[in-house]
Amino acid sequence: MNPRPLRIAKRIYTFLIILFMYAPIAAMIVLSFNASKSRAVWGGFTFDWYRRLVSDAGILSAFNNTILIALISSIVATVIGTAGAIGLMRMKSRPRAVSVAIANIPMLNADIVTGISLMLLFIAMRMTLGFTTVLIAHISFSIPYVILSVLPKLQQSRGGSYEAALDLGATHTQAFWRIVFPDILPGILSGFMLAFTMSIDDFIITHFTKGPGVDTLSTRIYSEVRKGIKPEMYALSTILFLIVLLLLFLINYAPEKKSSRSMKHLVLSRVVPCALVIAVLVFALHSTGKVSAAAGRNGEVVVYNWGEYIDPDVITMFEKETGIRVIYEEYETNEVMYPKISSGAIAYDVVCPSEYMAERMISEGLLQPVDRSVMPEVSNIEDRFFNVCDSFDPGNRYFTPYCWGTVGILYNTNMVKEPFDSWSILWDEHYKGEILMQNSVRDAFGITLKYLGYSLNSTDLDELTEARDMLIRQKPLVQAYVVDQVRDMMIGEEAALSVIYSGEAHETKAQNPNVGYVIPKEGSNIWIDGWVIPKNARNAENANKWINFMCRPDVATMNFEYMMYSTPNKKVRELTTNSELKNSSILFPAEEDLDRCEVFRYLGSGPTDTYNRLWREIKSH
Amino acid sequence: MRRRWLAAPFLLWSAAFIIIPIFMIIWFALTDQSGSFTWSNILEMGLADNIKALALALLLSIAATLICLVIAYPIAMILAGKKNGRNTMIAMLFILPMWMNFLLRTMAWQTLLEKNGVINTILRVLHLPAVTIINTPGAVILGMVYNFLPFMILPLYTVLSKIDREITYSARDLGAGPFQTFVKITLPLSKPGMISGITMVFVPALTTFVITDLLGGGKVQLIGNTIEQEFIQGSSWHVGSGLSLILMIFVFISMVLVAKYDPQSTGTAIGGRP
Repeated sequence: MNPRPLRIAKRIYTFLIILFMYAPIAAMIVLSFNASKSRAVWGGFTFDWYRRLVSDAGILSAFNNTILIALISSIVATVIGTAGAIGLMRMKSRPRAVSVAIANIPMLNADIVTGISLMLLFIAMRMTLGFTTVLIAHISFSIPYVILSVLPKLQQSRGGSYEAALDLGATHTQAFWRIVFPDILPGILSGFMLAFTMSIDDFIITHFTKGPGVDTLSTRIYSEVRKGIKPEMYALSTILFLIVLLLLFLINYAPEKKSSRSMKHLVLSRVVPCALVIAVLVFALHSTGKVSAAAGRNGEVVVYNWGEYIDPDVITMFEKETGIRVIYEEYETNEVMYPKISSGAIAYDVVCPSEYMAERMISEGLLQPVDRSVMPEVSNIEDRFFNVCDSFDPGNRYFTPYCWGTVGILYNTNMVKEPFDSWSILWDEHYKGEILMQNSVRDAFGITLKYLGYSLNSTDLDELTEARDMLIRQKPLVQAYVVDQVRDMMIGEEAALSVIYSGEAHETKAQNPNVGYVIPKEGSNIWIDGWVIPKNARNAENANKWINFMCRPDVATMNFEYMMYSTPNKKVRELTTNSELKNSSILFPAEEDLDRCEVFRYLGSGPTDTYNRLWREIKSH
Repeated sequence: MRRRWLAAPFLLWSAAFIIIPIFMIIWFALTDQSGSFTWSNILEMGLADNIKALALALLLSIAATLICLVIAYPIAMILAGKKNGRNTMIAMLFILPMWMNFLLRTMAWQTLLEKNGVINTILRVLHLPAVTIINTPGAVILGMVYNFLPFMILPLYTVLSKIDREITYSARDLGAGPFQTFVKITLPLSKPGMISGITMVFVPALTTFVITDLLGGGKVQLIGNTIEQEFIQGSSWHVGSGLSLILMIFVFISMVLVAKYDPQSTGTAIGGRP
């Protein structure tokens, strides 16, 4: 019927769209076998990323949670939703319309609003955010899908047959199971499948309703992706793609004859294979995921730390030696961490803020004093750090230094030829699109204020406005605002210049020798991160043990060699065998460089709001 | 006529986890830290940076919705025109990526678009100039279109394949050209599909913060990002609630507007939650 050119045009169009849909997936599948981390270089074929993926306990438990939450929530939602639909059919039309409209709300509303509203409710009810809250949230947004799948089937159902069955002596129950149920079963099944799919794919609502130690695949992927390039994620994509392919194949290509579309057949051909695949998956994961959950005879400790800020072996060692199970969560910036602690919704036992955030938490009464009598190892920390901390933590009652460092400019020596010693290079038009800025309020403002010759603790509105205007002027030159990704991007030569913490700078240099680190002459920030115990900690005793453990010279050395951040522990430079680390000028800068550096102070809630407001103006400019 | 009680668990659940949470947002939006009444959180929306973020979100999401519609319509027509059996297979091809994790799909584009990403590497091998797409609003639109395209194709395909072919044939018999048939017959009949497609793309695109996070490099700030930052990196939950409330009202107004043009209100019968 179609003329030939039209048919060809249709084919080409279909092909192009399919290419558009699948090119990214194909790229990920290819990259999952690439031995090199880079996206531009083929480093040879490898199964390494798959091996790492299946040995990553975090990912496995996230997978476990995802399937478990999806299964439970879709089953509960199907039961409540189906019963609800049947009940609704029996209601008068006006209350029914209102109820259906209510059921529609989570479907129509923006996910972000649904997620936030549930989070506010859970916190108001003093529920600790975690597995249960995620489950409740998933059930809530799944029910509408079930109702809206079952309701049309009920409306089509043979009402007369039901009455007839009753007339012929069947009980209500009998009549329901024999007459109505078979009619609505396809609706129930498709509602269940929809609910299951929505639960598995949800990120936004989970993001707002989850707590520490509970990750679904989506939230886990989100935090991994924001840290930098993780080829394990490509491997994960490939595996997920294959599972989905298999599932769809089973659903669609199960033998089905038009004539025999009986109920039993439907169940046999579609539901059984899917259930089998899911069951096998759950079983496989359960048997692998169990390993890490074994420890914990002496209770647990919930640790909230910066991303990539500990040697994972240290955690295992701590669990083995103390019998305390560690629940470990990560954050990207102090500003992300703070509201979680201050809201009290999540009970962390030990947290690792920077000095200015610790000062804020102390001043707001969010912390409890540590028990120095059970911390003999604290004597390994150099006194000069405790002296600095004394300014905001008199008597060192709360804060135990963990790492320190400077903020400076990391540059690619092939792209930045001329020597420089000033922050001004970050405003140089010549490097348009080649600059990576820190996506963190205080760091971004801090260096700008220093460049302008002010204190990085300025609260003067004129100085801050001037800094804001500078940063707005800089924005067109900036390639991206990043936090943890900066390291991988500099290793991958994605940019010429970046603002970076000294530890990250050292690690980048270890992997890409074509970089150099400069602390500009205007001065910079010197920072100290340390352990504190929130007031609402449930395992304060274990938290004290954790802090003591972190100060042990062998542990501090392990962390130092793993993270390559400067350590305040005086024994480490004796213990470490890595001379490159020991003598690094990036990690242990000259005294005169340090003298020009300033520590951040907490500025009070008014100026903090001003900083945040000005930062928003920059970001939305 | 018993069994009305079967709706009780559903009604209780809805009250507890749909209605009350919305009142929580309203309550937070209309109070300050000390719990006293204020309009200031709502008025925050009037600040230049928030207006800008909302306007940009509207602009990008409308662009993404239109692009989705333009791309999806021909595909849905092609699929609907195919014989039974083959069309379900090809329709499956379009649904399949939707089943993969949404974040992984977005990350894939990061991989393709980066400065030293796959596309630029290929261009370099071909001695063509490199392109800069990542960290621009264009990249965000691309991410939206890629993620939400199946939500447009599916309802359009469902509606188009239900159109009785006899009607189009009669139109042709009565002398209408292919174009006239399309405009006068197919297009109006496919309206319910278009409307549910548009809502299923527009709402998540308008409120996204993930796509901007991953493909915007922190340089593209939409209203979703602002709200997320108010809560997660947080300055104020009260301001965040105020902004959410306005966003919610915005979404519902657009729903009402859409429903006006959709007399049968078949609306969002085919669910979709990216």
